[in-house]
Amino acid sequence: MHIPDGYLSPQTYVPLYAVFAGFLAAALRKLRKSLSSKTVPYLGMAAAFSFLIMMFNVPIPGGTTGHAVGAGIVTLLLGPWVAMVSVSVALIIQALIFGDGGITAIGANCFNMAVVMPFVALWVFKLVRGKAAGGWRVSAAAFLSGYLGLVAASLVTAVEFGIQPLIASEGGKPLYAPYGLEIAVPVMTVEHLVLFGIIEGAITLLVLRYFLKNDPESVYVMKEERV
Amino acid sequence: MNFIDASLKKIAEVIKNAYVHWETAERNGFMQRLDPRLKVLFLLYCAVIISLIKKLPAQGAVAVFLLILILLSRLDAWRLYRRIAIFAFLFGFLVALPSAFNIITPGRIILHVASLSRAYRFWIYEIPQQIGITAEGSFGVAMLFLRVANSLTAALLIIHTTPFFEIIRALKVFRVPDVFIMTIILSYKYIFIFSRSVEDMYLAMKSRLAVPINRSAARDLVAGRIFFVFKKSWLRYEDTCRAMTARGFTGEIMLYHFRNFSAADAAAGVLFILAGAFFLLLQVMI
Repeated sequence: MHIPDGYLSPQTYVPLYAVFAGFLAAALRKLRKSLSSKTVPYLGMAAAFSFLIMMFNVPIPGGTTGHAVGAGIVTLLLGPWVAMVSVSVALIIQALIFGDGGITAIGANCFNMAVVMPFVALWVFKLVRGKAAGGWRVSAAAFLSGYLGLVAASLVTAVEFGIQPLIASEGGKPLYAPYGLEIAVPVMTVEHLVLFGIIEGAITLLVLRYFLKNDPESVYVMKEERV
Repeated sequence: MNFIDASLKKIAEVIKNAYVHWETAERNGFMQRLDPRLKVLFLLYCAVIISLIKKLPAQGAVAVFLLILILLSRLDAWRLYRRIAIFAFLFGFLVALPSAFNIITPGRIILHVASLSRAYRFWIYEIPQQIGITAEGSFGVAMLFLRVANSLTAALLIIHTTPFFEIIRALKVFRVPDVFIMTIILSYKYIFIFSRSVEDMYLAMKSRLAVPINRSAARDLVAGRIFFVFKKSWLRYEDTCRAMTARGFTGEIMLYHFRNFSAADAAAGVLFILAGAFFLLLQVMI
């Protein structure tokens, strides 16, 4: 899901940097208003938590292990604006320390995983949960928020890949991501629909259930007051 | 590898990477002596030049230039290129390889692979009668491979020659807000503290497990560990807030200033600009 350098043309990564910068500025403005002097330590904590979630591998059927992107569960626990900033920070650290995700693709990666995923996760959770305070509706809402959040992010990523042959090729030669929409969209979406999305949804559900059982007060989506 | 070992491996990698970067950034090499702002600007400039180059020899010239910078910076080239080769092979070659075939990239076939009795068409997909690797497709794979390899080389060159906090602080040249820069710096420190906690937690768990744990129990266990990390992060956040307030922090952030650019920085800056212009010119001349 982390787009490396070389896959996106400047026509794609420059506008995505600008779009992400706009969302980030809006998030920081909103959070500084509500958190005032606690903004930096709070966001620092949230970003470290977002980064560490990706360190936890869970066993999945077939004998292998997988981990979550974590944007869905961070959104449910801390809210979408905090998730946006904290997941972005985690992605920037990953790009700068591990080379996971390209430098030119930071804007695109942050847009896909720190903007699209948290908001889709939140909307899906609210829609499915309705007014339920617990039970199967909350469980279904938690699973689907992680699942559909990741699938939506993968769909946006696939579109970014898929438009490259249309907007940046030379005499039939692909210069960036070589697969068109007809290949990029089904391949990316199907693998997230049948595997990665399920892992993300399951981890979101497991962690949210644990929080609701042990410390429901700390869960953003179950609180009346919104940060 | 079970879920405990997989998690431990990742955490160990975080800690190891940070120490390796810290050690290489302290060496007395060419890039290490330059101002971090210049290096961050160079990284972005380099990434843009690499993404703009559309000719293979020009990408090759960039690769040679980056290799020279790596050697001048006294980095372990073998270790660095091993990592680059694995990543570029996976994301620049293997992922792109099917696009070399005329099923995906039509064009002049340079290597015939198979013949079908007739061409097939399903909805928007078409399989031609003659299947093979095309010149256009193989160019695309080679270009993507070199571009991914060069971009990663440039990124690793800067990461290994600049302390992490200096890279982040240098983001100020792009007018990144101070609050965001401080958040990254604080978060990085937290990551280290908590990575050690998570590592200790998993090692303790591993040492107590006498029999394999079933999948359902393992998933509950992981959920519990995530909960624990969250609570620990929250306590650390509250402690940090109290400590900052006690020292008179009111929310105003002041990052200390950089030193002025030296003559060596200016000379290196000119060299980088000229090199970039040369690579762009090279593809026009070829």
